Amino acid sequence: MTGTAVILLAGGVGSRLNILVAHRAKPAVPFGGIYRIIDFTLSNIANSGLTGVAVLTQYRPLSLMDHIGNGSSWDLSGRFRSVKILPPKTGEEEWDWYKGTADAVRQNLQYIMTRDCQHVLIVSGDHVYHMNYSSMLSFHQERSARVTIGVIRVPWEETHQFGTAIVDENSRITDWEEKSPKARSNLASMGIYVFDRDYLVDLLETTKDVDFGHHIIPKALEEHNVFAYPFSGYWRDVGTLQAYWEANMDLLKADSGFDPELWKVKTNLNAGGLSFERPPIRIAQNGRVSNSVVSPGCKIFGEVENSVLSPGVVIEKGALVSDSIVMHDSILQEGASVKRCIVDKQVTIGRGSSIGMEANTQPNRQFPEHLSTGLTVLGKETRIPDFAIIGANCIVYSKVGPEDFHTLSLESGDNIQKREEP
Amino acid sequence: MILAGGRVDDLGVLTLARPKSAMPFGGLYRIIDFSLSNLMHSDIERVGILSQYKPHSLLEHVGNGESWDMLGRNRFAAFLPPFKGINQSDWYQGTADAVFQNLDFLRTHRPEHVLILSGDHVYQMDYREVIRFHNDNKADLTIVFAKVPREGAHRFGLAEIECERKEGGRVIQYLEKPETPAFDWASLTIYVFTPYVLLEALEANATKDSHEFGRDIIPWLLEHNYNVYGYKHDGYWGYTRTPREYWQTSMDFLGSTPRVDFNDWQICTNLSHGNIRDRRPALVGHSALIEDSLLYSGCRIAGTVKNSILFPGVRVDEGAHVEDSILFFNAVIKRNSRIIRTITDENVTVGVNTQVGEQDSEDLSIIGMNTRIPRDTTIAAGANVHPDLGPAQFSKHSYGQGETVQ
Repeated sequence: MTGTAVILLAGGVGSRLNILVAHRAKPAVPFGGIYRIIDFTLSNIANSGLTGVAVLTQYRPLSLMDHIGNGSSWDLSGRFRSVKILPPKTGEEEWDWYKGTADAVRQNLQYIMTRDCQHVLIVSGDHVYHMNYSSMLSFHQERSARVTIGVIRVPWEETHQFGTAIVDENSRITDWEEKSPKARSNLASMGIYVFDRDYLVDLLETTKDVDFGHHIIPKALEEHNVFAYPFSGYWRDVGTLQAYWEANMDLLKADSGFDPELWKVKTNLNAGGLSFERPPIRIAQNGRVSNSVVSPGCKIFGEVENSVLSPGVVIEKGALVSDSIVMHDSILQEGASVKRCIVDKQVTIGRGSSIGMEANTQPNRQFPEHLSTGLTVLGKETRIPDFAIIGANCIVYSKVGPEDFHTLSLESGDNIQKREEP
Repeated sequence: MILAGGRVDDLGVLTLARPKSAMPFGGLYRIIDFSLSNLMHSDIERVGILSQYKPHSLLEHVGNGESWDMLGRNRFAAFLPPFKGINQSDWYQGTADAVFQNLDFLRTHRPEHVLILSGDHVYQMDYREVIRFHNDNKADLTIVFAKVPREGAHRFGLAEIECERKEGGRVIQYLEKPETPAFDWASLTIYVFTPYVLLEALEANATKDSHEFGRDIIPWLLEHNYNVYGYKHDGYWGYTRTPREYWQTSMDFLGSTPRVDFNDWQICTNLSHGNIRDRRPALVGHSALIEDSLLYSGCRIAGTVKNSILFPGVRVDEGAHVEDSILFFNAVIKRNSRIIRTITDENVTVGVNTQVGEQDSEDLSIIGMNTRIPRDTTIAAGANVHPDLGPAQFSKHSYGQGETVQ
């Protein structure tokens, strides 16, 4: 598939993921134990036989760049294979930050121009799914399309979050609505586009439009040569904390249709971490694990149920974690209990503390739209003091330590931040 | 130089298709990983691997050496296979002959010391300490020893070491596998040579009939008054020469206070070998019960697992029971089967309602690679089941104590 250049838009802030994206771009957020969100798209690219990809970064790109490395984890490194990371500094005057998806591609037109390709595949690194892009490319060619957009049927109540396509019987898009409150179609854009290279270059060079959904697609529709490629299968926009949590929990369900090993999802196991391999999972004499995903290097002396554990998590004696996501090298000390939590990396949860154990419907007071379903989020490198009690819908910011707790209890819906240095 | 060619008959069906150094160990690793990781952590990154018995699995595992950081301008893990010389014969005629035939390798790289290891033990060691000891004593050869009980010591090279200093001392006497052991220190077959001494000893040995470091080279050096020193290793040392030893060494990593923690040893392996890299994290089902066990990515457990080690991709179905066992990559244990005190090699499938091994017997059962045991079969303790057998080749429903199936 050398005739196709791939642009992976990985600049998304993903602000609704709140403190999970305080230190990293959304595509770099850990997912499913050992993966990061971008792994699904990178693996789809590699598994579709595509060989050249440019990753457009912008927001907090360090952990993303570290993760992608030279691309060899996805077999995208070699004489004819490459991952190029393109940061936003192609402008001639100072730094030109990307103003939108189309603007990001415009600023990197040179990448597209210098490659020997007829088509450009534009994807984002924000979704969890398994798709063979080569079928979509064939679809595009068979219909002699100028533009093909990947679409999926979504529940009608969600259509207002998406660009939606109205199509005729040949899958030709006749009309387009961008985040309409009263959408006429539930065929939602997946943010996956195939363009004829010359057409894309022409569109981007002759206009100053900055966004594909809002500007470029409506313009292309005027020429009646835009098609919708229908995708059906597992696809999740994990842009909210609740959606992120649910998609992780899908790993535990045999019938969810989500199986990263079957999908041949690859990741970089060595990024930014150890100089040796994570040893086997150790489940001790009195350890209990049920209905959970457990990664290498975990040590389980306590109880784990309905949870997803990343590498190196330690659950000490008498500790209990349920319905939670616990990321790399976090520790639940003796007797701690954690329920419905998203625990970022390297968090220490002190002895006997209790987090999210009571069901409470008080939404988060500061971010009610981010957190109202009873999840609690603990930021990276936070240390929860012994015997603390933390409610539901709470946010404990990154690097908070015992010294930041005024009392040992945090009411449901409350947040706690690192105190300012005097 | 790592001597990684040996097959070792005692391991039976487990080494039919691979040298011992390529045997899986500890739920993730291959035995040679311990030597290679020790070398890496000791900053010794110019390594020759002497291999001759069915090297495919070992070659694939070591690859270009990058897993142990042995890939770079002056870093390498080079395979040194037997070759046809002008005067020499093709195959290595012993450990010393293997090194002798590769003297060009040493002449090319002109090292200050030559460290010779066998790639088939489980241990952690900083070889720099041994080399420092070697230099401090101006030794010609330093051998690493560990203290062993006299009982069973007849299987090792044994030495008397002068003045019981903590670190070690001069080797006064050395006997290779004596019938009645008289010394406490057993050779771990780790040697540091001063290169010209190695050369002299190998050249003197070349005209003889036997070419082994333990049997021939060490006695020759002592006889000719070279400085031979013994360095005492007091850390963990695991043998894997027989199924029982292999099993026991594996079990040392389990229990309420395991004798060894892989985290401390920082072992590296090649995650591309056996496709470990691309496996999903382990999936533990609602009905699973796992106690005192090690497992890895790609495992799917719905049954009971006790006191066992499961390699990547092992599946234990609901109602199945695995205890005191070691299951290599991709074993599938189907419903209501019982696997007790058994080692299954890679890709073994055990059918529904089948029993392998027994709790009350000392004997271990061993199932060869790719074998598929049919449903409703009983295989008593101590069985040796050959590789690549299909259900049709199991003519009986029941196999007795110690029976061989082939």
